[in-house]
Amino acid sequence: MNKDVLDTVVSAETPEGIGIELRPAGLSSRCFAYLLDLLIRLGVVYAVAMVVAIMGRFGLGLLMILAFALEWFYPVAFELSRWGATPGKRALGIKVVMDNGLPITPAASITRNLLRAADFLPAFYAFGVASMLVRGDFKRLGDVAANTLVVYQPAPAPKVNIDDLEPLAPIRPLQPQDQAAVVALAARAPRLTRERLDELAALAAWVSGDMGRSGPDVTRRVLAVAQWLLGKR
Amino acid sequence: MTPLQFEAQYQSEWDELQSLLTRLRVGVRKSDTPVSGERLASLYRRACEQLALARARSYPAHIVERLNQLTADAHQVIYQRQEFGFGRLKKMVAVDFPHAVRAHAAYVWLSAAVFLVPMIALGLLVYFNPELILSMVDPATAAQFERMYSDDTEAIGRLRDAGSDWAMFGFYIQHNIGISFQCFASGLFAGIGSLFFLAFNGAFLGGIAGYLTERGLSSTFYSFVVTHGAFELTAIVLSGAAGLRIGHALISPGRRSRREALVVAARESIVIVYGVAGLLLIAAAVEAFWSSARWIPLSLKYGVAAACWIMVLGYLWRQGRHAS
Repeated sequence: MNKDVLDTVVSAETPEGIGIELRPAGLSSRCFAYLLDLLIRLGVVYAVAMVVAIMGRFGLGLLMILAFALEWFYPVAFELSRWGATPGKRALGIKVVMDNGLPITPAASITRNLLRAADFLPAFYAFGVASMLVRGDFKRLGDVAANTLVVYQPAPAPKVNIDDLEPLAPIRPLQPQDQAAVVALAARAPRLTRERLDELAALAAWVSGDMGRSGPDVTRRVLAVAQWLLGKR
Repeated sequence: MTPLQFEAQYQSEWDELQSLLTRLRVGVRKSDTPVSGERLASLYRRACEQLALARARSYPAHIVERLNQLTADAHQVIYQRQEFGFGRLKKMVAVDFPHAVRAHAAYVWLSAAVFLVPMIALGLLVYFNPELILSMVDPATAAQFERMYSDDTEAIGRLRDAGSDWAMFGFYIQHNIGISFQCFASGLFAGIGSLFFLAFNGAFLGGIAGYLTERGLSSTFYSFVVTHGAFELTAIVLSGAAGLRIGHALISPGRRSRREALVVAARESIVIVYGVAGLLLIAAAVEAFWSSARWIPLSLKYGVAAACWIMVLGYLWRQGRHAS
């Protein structure tokens, strides 16, 4: 990956020699996930408080133990589940993995959640937020020490859907990255406005021999090249 | 091979891998055939191969993305690590924890010194100048401490009902374990946080002890703190030591990068924190159910306390020496 490209993607390699792309989750989604989890925790404590209120001092003891367990081990329990994420994180489509893309280990989960106390200082997670804003991979201090990463669960890319076009051979053989760019344009076509699609297609117009021109016809011919590249003949 | 041919040829394998992964995720029902690990692994390896091919040939984004997603999901399932279980816990108690403490002996001694020196100093100072207690806490708090350990009915050692014992148990767990986790975590700031927590808690405890001794309440006070102190004071010192280890890794990373040094330090010192949590659980139970029981004769309490101290220190000193 070109270092100059402005992107937050982190590449991890598996033992099979496959690079896995991890997209670190930023401050806002993690913040919302935290708030959701906080609401859930408060809700549980409140509900249990209602129930144990009838048990008097014994119930109070249980409640304090529960509050303690929720504060420190609620994230650990959920991160080690098969989802790798607390309910709040799951709602936001993010999860916790190791730096190398592997599922989080118990030791790492406990480390990152105990060090939350350091992230919290001096108040309201100031150090954690500062660390996330400074770093390219949005790690808080606990993540740095535990070697973990909070990443987006990737959504599958849209399928290319240009069946109605007659395939057209490019005027000369294309480099792999040029092929990829043309096909990616075709994949994005349904989500772009017509004007923007024409603009983008004009940049690639040379593949169909329309260098320097633009307009709906050129766009159609560029997409036809994409059709050819996909294997339609 | 064109992307469309490629997709047509391997589509069925991808679908099979996908369905295996989904079944593993939602859990296998009894009526289904169990998921074959062999089949899963071989499909995973083939998908890796195909992903590499698809990337090398710059196939369209949706194929590469699909394979990327499939391999990433399968990777998560296949390399899942299971570190739980009774055997693991037993090894932690029998070997790993005491071993980690001995491996960090220098930090433990430093931590103990930072905790004990202010404690003894403040204890002696307050004992000889009792009015100094008022520069540590306000008069109301001092009076409250005095009342807590005095002989009247409000005293901490009164005969409580079982419910109150449980309430105190919950309080000690929440309060003490929370403090010691903080003592560890704040070591991340070059160790200063841990040093502060150690010295502060030591000084506070020493001041209170000196004050109560001077007021002639020593028998109530010491018989209360001495038993669970074996677990609690040790735990505070150990969590401070773990915090110092982290802080030291940041100040002086040696031949590693600072980040790498921090990661290694966290991985090795977190074992101590596991043990600390265990010690503090014991401490909370002892403090709530044993220390506060006033009907137990003092001689028995001191005897049990001595046994506890010998047990804890001996455990940290000798346990698991030959195993590792």
